[in-house]
Amino acid sequence: MFSKRILTYLAAAALALLPNAIRAQHLLVPMDDDQTNHLKAYGLTYNALKDGARGEWLLNYRGGSFLLPDTPELRRRAALDGITTQPVDDATLSDIRNQMSQANMESVPLEKAPRIAVYTAPYSPPWDDAVILALRYAGIPYTPIWDDEIEHGDLSKYDWVHLFHEDFTGQLGKFYIAYSGASWFVDMQRTNLATAKKLGFPNIPALKKDVAMKIRDYVNNGGFLFAMCGATETLDLALAAHDVDIASVFADGTPMDPNADAKMDWNASLAFRGAQLELSPYVNSMSDIDGHQANVPGRRQPLGTFTLFAFSAKFDPVPSMLVQDHRTVIPDFYGVTTSFMKNRIKPGVTVLADEAGAPWAKYIHGDYGKGSWTFLGGHDPEDPQHAIGNPPTDLSLHPNSPGYRLILNNVLFPAAKKKPLKT
Amino acid sequence: MRISRISRNAGAALVAGLCLTTSAARAQATDSAGSAYLRAQDFETRDQYDSAAIAYRQALVQTPNSLAAMLGLERVYAQLGRSDSLLPVLDSAIAREPRLNALRAAQLRTYRSLGDRAGLERAFDQWRRDVPHDPAPYQEYARMLIEDGYTAQADTVLQLAQTQAGNARGFSYEVAQLDAAMGKWEPSARAWRQAVSNNPYLADAAVFALFPTPAGTRDAVRRALAAAPVSTPPLKVLGALELAWGAPREGWTALHVLRPDSATIAAWLDFAHRAEQSNAWLVARDALVAADQADPTPAYLVRAANDAFAGGDAAGAASLAARAETDLDSAAAATTALPIHLRALSALGKPADGARLLDAYRGVMSADDQAQNARLLAWGWVRVGDLEHARQALASGGGGDDAAAGWIALYQGDLAGARRQLHAQGDPSGDVLAVLALLDRTRATKSEALGNAYLTLARGDTATAAAAFAAAAPSLADAGSLLIATSARLYTTHGDAPQAIAAWKTIVDSLPQSPEAPEADLEWARILRRTKQTPAAIARLEHLIITYPQSALVPQARRELELARQTVPSTS
Repeated sequence: MFSKRILTYLAAAALALLPNAIRAQHLLVPMDDDQTNHLKAYGLTYNALKDGARGEWLLNYRGGSFLLPDTPELRRRAALDGITTQPVDDATLSDIRNQMSQANMESVPLEKAPRIAVYTAPYSPPWDDAVILALRYAGIPYTPIWDDEIEHGDLSKYDWVHLFHEDFTGQLGKFYIAYSGASWFVDMQRTNLATAKKLGFPNIPALKKDVAMKIRDYVNNGGFLFAMCGATETLDLALAAHDVDIASVFADGTPMDPNADAKMDWNASLAFRGAQLELSPYVNSMSDIDGHQANVPGRRQPLGTFTLFAFSAKFDPVPSMLVQDHRTVIPDFYGVTTSFMKNRIKPGVTVLADEAGAPWAKYIHGDYGKGSWTFLGGHDPEDPQHAIGNPPTDLSLHPNSPGYRLILNNVLFPAAKKKPLKT
Repeated sequence: MRISRISRNAGAALVAGLCLTTSAARAQATDSAGSAYLRAQDFETRDQYDSAAIAYRQALVQTPNSLAAMLGLERVYAQLGRSDSLLPVLDSAIAREPRLNALRAAQLRTYRSLGDRAGLERAFDQWRRDVPHDPAPYQEYARMLIEDGYTAQADTVLQLAQTQAGNARGFSYEVAQLDAAMGKWEPSARAWRQAVSNNPYLADAAVFALFPTPAGTRDAVRRALAAAPVSTPPLKVLGALELAWGAPREGWTALHVLRPDSATIAAWLDFAHRAEQSNAWLVARDALVAADQADPTPAYLVRAANDAFAGGDAAGAASLAARAETDLDSAAAATTALPIHLRALSALGKPADGARLLDAYRGVMSADDQAQNARLLAWGWVRVGDLEHARQALASGGGGDDAAAGWIALYQGDLAGARRQLHAQGDPSGDVLAVLALLDRTRATKSEALGNAYLTLARGDTATAAAAFAAAAPSLADAGSLLIATSARLYTTHGDAPQAIAAWKTIVDSLPQSPEAPEADLEWARILRRTKQTPAAIARLEHLIITYPQSALVPQARRELELARQTVPSTS
């Protein structure tokens, strides 16, 4: 009845009327204020990579958006988690790329979901670590590891390792000052000491120093390390104190070496140098690395805001990835270690965020051997004054948290394919 | 002589004049100081802290020992971040009044707020040296150390205090707080026992401090508080703790052993009040009955009757209300005990007894009370299925109750009448709104099946009512999904999860376009979660979110999904 020409015309018209959703080849996951759930968007991207898909991280484009293949399964996951996605056809994508080429933006290919380990003690409640909170909320799988696994050489199985508020000086966070009689503290001490003995160490500080060195070796061999809270400061103290007693009598039966400051070997540390140790066993501070000293009432500094630095996406893609966010100024939050005094940071370390006018940095990054490390001060970006016993943070109440985005940037950045530098 | 007398008189007059002048000057200065203080307060109220500080300083210049002005200055300097400026002012005041503890406490607070631990310690040392036998310096300093987490130092201070005082009695409050802060629950309980025995007003502080006691240590705390010789304040603390720990019966068991006296009765009434707030109705009833036995008071019995009824003990409620009626005059009984008595008799299926009771009081009731009590009686007749007597009861109360008449029409299957009369209600209750929602979903004017379902529900037979609502669905197709949903909700209330799931499944499978379909998915998933069938619950929630993305229930479904997947901490 119809001529071939009319049929062709009708077919073309019908195709044109099809919704974009059907014709799109890519899903754009915007990460600006249009995104309804920023944190789950990282999980969507991570799990797409885990399932074998490839993606792109569009640095500085709409808050650091992700580009994923348009598949029914990814659409379904996005719908379930309330993640905003936008179908993008080739023509629109071409426009986006053109726009990016003319601005401080860059596309970084994402190829492989990193294998993630979180260093966490068996007695730690699952909700006491901001990274675990973020990973669980985003639906990103991880393996908990502790001293046994590290001492047995398991770190090489993972691309990315996270440390939280572990005290690598072996003094159990000096919690004995206020909680020596608390049952949870007694259990913590007993478990750590039993582990040390089992692994052939005389005491907890000796074990933790060895664990710290194995973590540094892991980075040296190409691993990615992300540490927060007290783990940042104490890891470096433990590394620099490889031949000196910096633990109080409570921890190892002998007092701290009174000349410990002079004997610290800062060549062995990752991020800091020249720190003065806190000599009093009754002051809840480890050193003068932390600018805020939240647990020492007489020294505690008030919380302000920190500002993320802008980097060249084309020439500095790594720091650029680490600071992708829809906010550049973020409220600060306390931790066992909240911030890092700039006069204690080694030259060559990249400061990713600091507080304007303050002598401390919040977020730092550096390379060591074939790998790299990133330190973020503070305990919980959405619970700025978290204290022991406080209820855990429910991230479904903070799906757009800019602070938690920094954690998840670190999770995803090892997935990026290394490009040759353009310089 | 004369001259000298004149001189003396003149001198006396001069002295008198001087005295008058001095008094007038003092009065004027005091007025001025008072005025400066009032101005300072006014500035402070208006958040004008700079001006407030100046005015408080003026007040202190004029009345150097004004404690109120000193405390005002402390407040505004703190607001201005200038607490260090208070220290010299305090030093001068303390030099004038070395034994005024309020000034010393302000000095400690100031050093503490400045974070000057050395200054704080110096001020404490000076204070205790100046008043060697006064416990106040130790108490104040120890409390600050505890609050700041310096428990070891606080312990040292309290030991020193006890050495100075020769015993620990004056420091039991601080020791109790310190032990609680250090997780030493049993010693803390012993110290609280002593503290509340000396100062019963500390009971709430004790409950607050001991509440976090871990479950495994609570027996030790119980033993410490209930140790012989028993006394009211510690047991009052234990009763409140048991309520807070979710063991109300144990709380009453601990308290009821007390010999009844006025303090005991007050403790029992306090316990009853706390129990009522915790919905522990039956232990509240027991405490009130015990209070009545010790001090016969009909109001206790009426309250006990209401608590018994709320706790599901209708027979007990009827009995207690009857006892209260015998102790009250008729008019008072009609307004207090009679309503709960009628409600209890209705719940027990004894409307005829209720009718006789109502008749006995008819002469002393106001028209409003008659109408209200007639409604209670009418519900009793409904409950036994006697709708005609229910109508008569309403009529005897003056009639004119659209809601009650509407309900009765509904029970008789007269949907048009029910719709008309329930709509006429000015301020419909939640139950009425739920019925109207159903009646407005169907055009039917009569349905014996639906009337029977509601009547069965009114008679308290939830399981049969659930089946009756489902059975009515085919005959009222336009409201079919809502009737099945009602059936499912009733099965859930009744604890019959399989039947509830079957009803929700019917909606999901057969009526997926109905307004109840998203709710069916959600409620089905909730039952599955409660019965630990997590993967199946997740599948249902995902079905809801994907199938009904525009539903208002999607946020709730997402929340349930997070909890089922354990991606967020559980709030329970």
